[in-house]
Amino acid sequence: MSILSVKNLEKRFGDNVILKNVSADIEKGEVISIIGPSGTGKSTFLRAMNFLDPPTDGEVFFDGRLITKKNVDAVRRRMGMVFQNFGLFSHMNVMDNLSAGPVKLLGVSKSEAEEKSAELLRTVGLYERARFMPRQLSGGQKQRVAIARCLAMSPEVILFDEPTSALDPTMVSEVMAVMRNLAKSGMTMLVVTHEMDFARDVSSRVFYMDEGGIYEQGNPEIIFNNPQRQKTQAFIYNIRSYNYEVESRDFDYAEMLSGVENFCFRHAIGKRDANRLQLITEELIINIVTPQYGACSLAVHFSEKQETCNISVSYKGESGNALDGAADDLSVSMVKNSAKEIRHQYADGINTLTAVL
Amino acid sequence: MTINKVQKNGKLILDIEGRLDTATAPQLQGVLIPAFDDCKEIALDFAELVYVSSAGLRVLLMGQKQAKKTDGTMTLQNVSDEVMEVLEMTGFTDMLTIEQQRNFL
Ligand SMILES: Nc1ncnc2c1ncn2[C@@H]1O[C@H](COP(=O)(O)OP(=O)(O)OP(=O)(O)O)[C@@H](O)[C@H]1O
Ligand SMILES: [Mg+2]
Repeated sequence: MSILSVKNLEKRFGDNVILKNVSADIEKGEVISIIGPSGTGKSTFLRAMNFLDPPTDGEVFFDGRLITKKNVDAVRRRMGMVFQNFGLFSHMNVMDNLSAGPVKLLGVSKSEAEEKSAELLRTVGLYERARFMPRQLSGGQKQRVAIARCLAMSPEVILFDEPTSALDPTMVSEVMAVMRNLAKSGMTMLVVTHEMDFARDVSSRVFYMDEGGIYEQGNPEIIFNNPQRQKTQAFIYNIRSYNYEVESRDFDYAEMLSGVENFCFRHAIGKRDANRLQLITEELIINIVTPQYGACSLAVHFSEKQETCNISVSYKGESGNALDGAADDLSVSMVKNSAKEIRHQYADGINTLTAVL
Repeated sequence: MTINKVQKNGKLILDIEGRLDTATAPQLQGVLIPAFDDCKEIALDFAELVYVSSAGLRVLLMGQKQAKKTDGTMTLQNVSDEVMEVLEMTGFTDMLTIEQQRNFL
């Protein structure tokens, strides 16, 4: 029997139907990543499942039992939730944040609760912070405490709503590491996330949400490398692309360069390829196309399946390959030497130079 | 990019860390060119330099010219693999003086 079963769930706010006819079965030990554009109801879906915002129609079963407004408190003890903004009790220290729930709701003795809390704090690397107040912790530490607090209730399922979105980028990995370990330990997890590495490497299934429901679902291999439906394809294509509009010769090139650098980092593109990619982009845009044509647009796209990276620069004007007209031989030779292949196309008044890595 | 200056036995070593690109090359130019006024022997340590583009290479050429003009020398040392690839691709390895073993001074 599924640990969590959603049947024909509907959620509306007034006349606004956010989710309609959503059904899903989640088995024990599954890790489900929920991805999709903003506003497609990912948070609403999680909140409907644990009745923080009860569904307006349909049913949710936990471990075979229909969740109702009456029994939802009992269910929530077995189904924890971690929020983007941590939700710690600000007036309690870390240890009390963890122990309060078990003492109050599960009738565990204080000493027993603290013993377990100490152990959980060790597993998230924060035992030394047990007597700290939440405000004395970094964002990453707060979120690890929030996860430990959730675990203190011994839940069978944990719902995560963008647990790393509010964090400084340097703190994302410490929280993701805790979540990876949790997944490995067999915890059933539903995770709304923008961390595509996690979705790809850790989840058993990915739900892509759009058009009022689970628009497409499948294992990460399918969703990331071979999505079947149009909107999923567009979404996946987009997260692997970097676009930049150069409006004039005086554009903010530092912004573009760091954007490209970040893109390489996010997609874990190897050092050598990352360098070539950045080199081609910098030389093409700054020294070859912009001096001749002014405005242009950059699109970098990374295809994991084909293990290639395409760098396209488009610019308006007469048909002309900017590499031939460039005054700058050094830059041209750097681009030619770094790319595997360079193509020039002209259509509808727009030139496109594509360098393949 | 950060530039650390180390002075040893009349020699000036500029430790360059980070990226030498269109955005940061002017910073190196501003330090390197005037440095020849006070010092004949300048070494650029590229152990921690991870990226160089044509803008950076142009500053190296200017440095080389300035060295000639002032009767000094400019040497690159401990060049990282990533940067070496670019120097090789552009033929700069033949134009510049490069010393590849670490100099513990
Ligand atoms: N309490 C509410 N009252 C009215 N409308 C709401 C409420 N909560 C959410 N909505 C609406 O429901 C839609 C889905 O919101 P939701 O927050 O679930 O999206 P999301 O997929 O989580 O987006 P994001 O990626 O930005 O977090 C939005 O149009 C939102 O305005
Ligand atoms: Mg949301």
